[in-house]
Amino acid sequence: MYLGVFETEEACRAWKEEYGLEFPVIADGDGTLFRAFTNGWVPWSVLVGPDGKVVFSENEFDESGFSNAIQQMYEEPSAGKPIRRRGGSRAAGTVILGGGTGGLVAAHDLRRRLPNSHRIVLVDRSRDHVYQPSLLWQIVGQRHQHQFRRPLNRLERKGIEFRNDQVEEIDLESKRVRTGSGSLNYDSLVVSLGAQLVPETVDGFEQMAYNLYDPPGCAQIHSALEDFSGGTIGILITAMPYKCPAAPYEAAFLTEWFIRKKGIRRKVELHLFTPEQMPMPVAPPALGDSIADMLSARGIHYHPLFTFKELRPETREVVSSDSRSDQVDLLIGIPPHQAPEVVRSSPLLGVSGYIHVDPKTLRTQHDGVFAIGDVTTIKLPNGKALPKAGVFAHSQAKVVAEQIADAVLGRKSDASFKGKGYCWIELGDGRAGFAGGDFYAEPDPELKLRQPGRTLHWGKVAFEKWWLHHWF
Amino acid sequence: MKVVEGLSKGIEPGSTVSVAELGLPVKGTNGLLLVFWKSP
Repeated sequence: MYLGVFETEEACRAWKEEYGLEFPVIADGDGTLFRAFTNGWVPWSVLVGPDGKVVFSENEFDESGFSNAIQQMYEEPSAGKPIRRRGGSRAAGTVILGGGTGGLVAAHDLRRRLPNSHRIVLVDRSRDHVYQPSLLWQIVGQRHQHQFRRPLNRLERKGIEFRNDQVEEIDLESKRVRTGSGSLNYDSLVVSLGAQLVPETVDGFEQMAYNLYDPPGCAQIHSALEDFSGGTIGILITAMPYKCPAAPYEAAFLTEWFIRKKGIRRKVELHLFTPEQMPMPVAPPALGDSIADMLSARGIHYHPLFTFKELRPETREVVSSDSRSDQVDLLIGIPPHQAPEVVRSSPLLGVSGYIHVDPKTLRTQHDGVFAIGDVTTIKLPNGKALPKAGVFAHSQAKVVAEQIADAVLGRKSDASFKGKGYCWIELGDGRAGFAGGDFYAEPDPELKLRQPGRTLHWGKVAFEKWWLHHWF
Repeated sequence: MKVVEGLSKGIEPGSTVSVAELGLPVKGTNGLLLVFWKSP
């Protein structure tokens, strides 16, 4: 049932007819139910079970996640069902899925804490780890792919097995992962598969947009900027949530700096389209306002609450759900994200479309299974989701590694993720800002933006160098 | 889109709701999905 918040019966009827909806659409004219059920955001979805118990209550929407939750609601409870255990006497050890930030840190931290008799296997479909923050420098020609890629098989010399393989199934009951080339049993499983980019779900994306979130796309953006002589550049966030909330804004600042340096600034209009109501909306409004002010000071046109509907490659238009269209000559796109297919087809999938975990321990509801980083959803005290960013995957990986090691060594664990996070914000001109703080603070995250400067930019560069040297 | 400022977390999973008392046009229920929406 849809409830139109502060809407009239007529508006609800018109909306039901316009979209041919077969379910009831009624008006919550004075917002009574809205106030009782939500934290003030739309859309908001609440699933109530046959027994009157609330199954989920979410701002985010993911069709597969919802379908999965509804299906589970009607299934027989699995509690009490015997769990099949794998045969064999050898300890299965820890399997880590994903060689991004979280997987890399978890594998190293665990290896440091446990003797080599504890087997650690990391599985990734890619042969290389890609340090993603460097992508932003790639778009302005300050990095090439080979400078921020490292082969994951180098982990082998540190006592971490690496399988370059696709994860095809997570069998939670048998505690086994099936990959393209075989199976891996586990005692502990760390799911760190990240968020998958799905540009193919947007018609025309490939013809019209360059993907800001992958190395080939960033190489194309750089070439296009090199060739650009004037016109309109758009940066488009197609859907929420997306990883690294600052990245599109950093892309805007760096692009503006690049075209200014190139001497064509007066011939270029730069636009940033986003469904967010302000930059980094999880942060206190003052922080978002600062970033919006920086966009304005650089003449970058900012379009918040732009709910993307479609691309029209033939006319090079970006169209919003309220039928507003903007023509662009060069489009930098942030494609929709979703949990990887292997997660979407497993009971790990939560209603948000990602894996729901305990905010402190990162445990899932399944024995021995942890999930970290972008593949998870963690609801903050203010009801919003913890942003998807490498800094959180990094510290969550350490917390999980400590818990697994404590369990193996027979110790009680008090490792806990505290919700602390930070990020640099590249501004071009060799300058950067820095924002960070406590995302678990109540009632809202407590974050601060430090005065931008050159030192902060070099701090970001130094961290990149440290990362690529330290783990490889 | 934030429609009302100052609300807390929203209803928590695990809470119990009396569907009959919500005043919604539903008769008996095998479960209910409520989606709050507002036109832009």
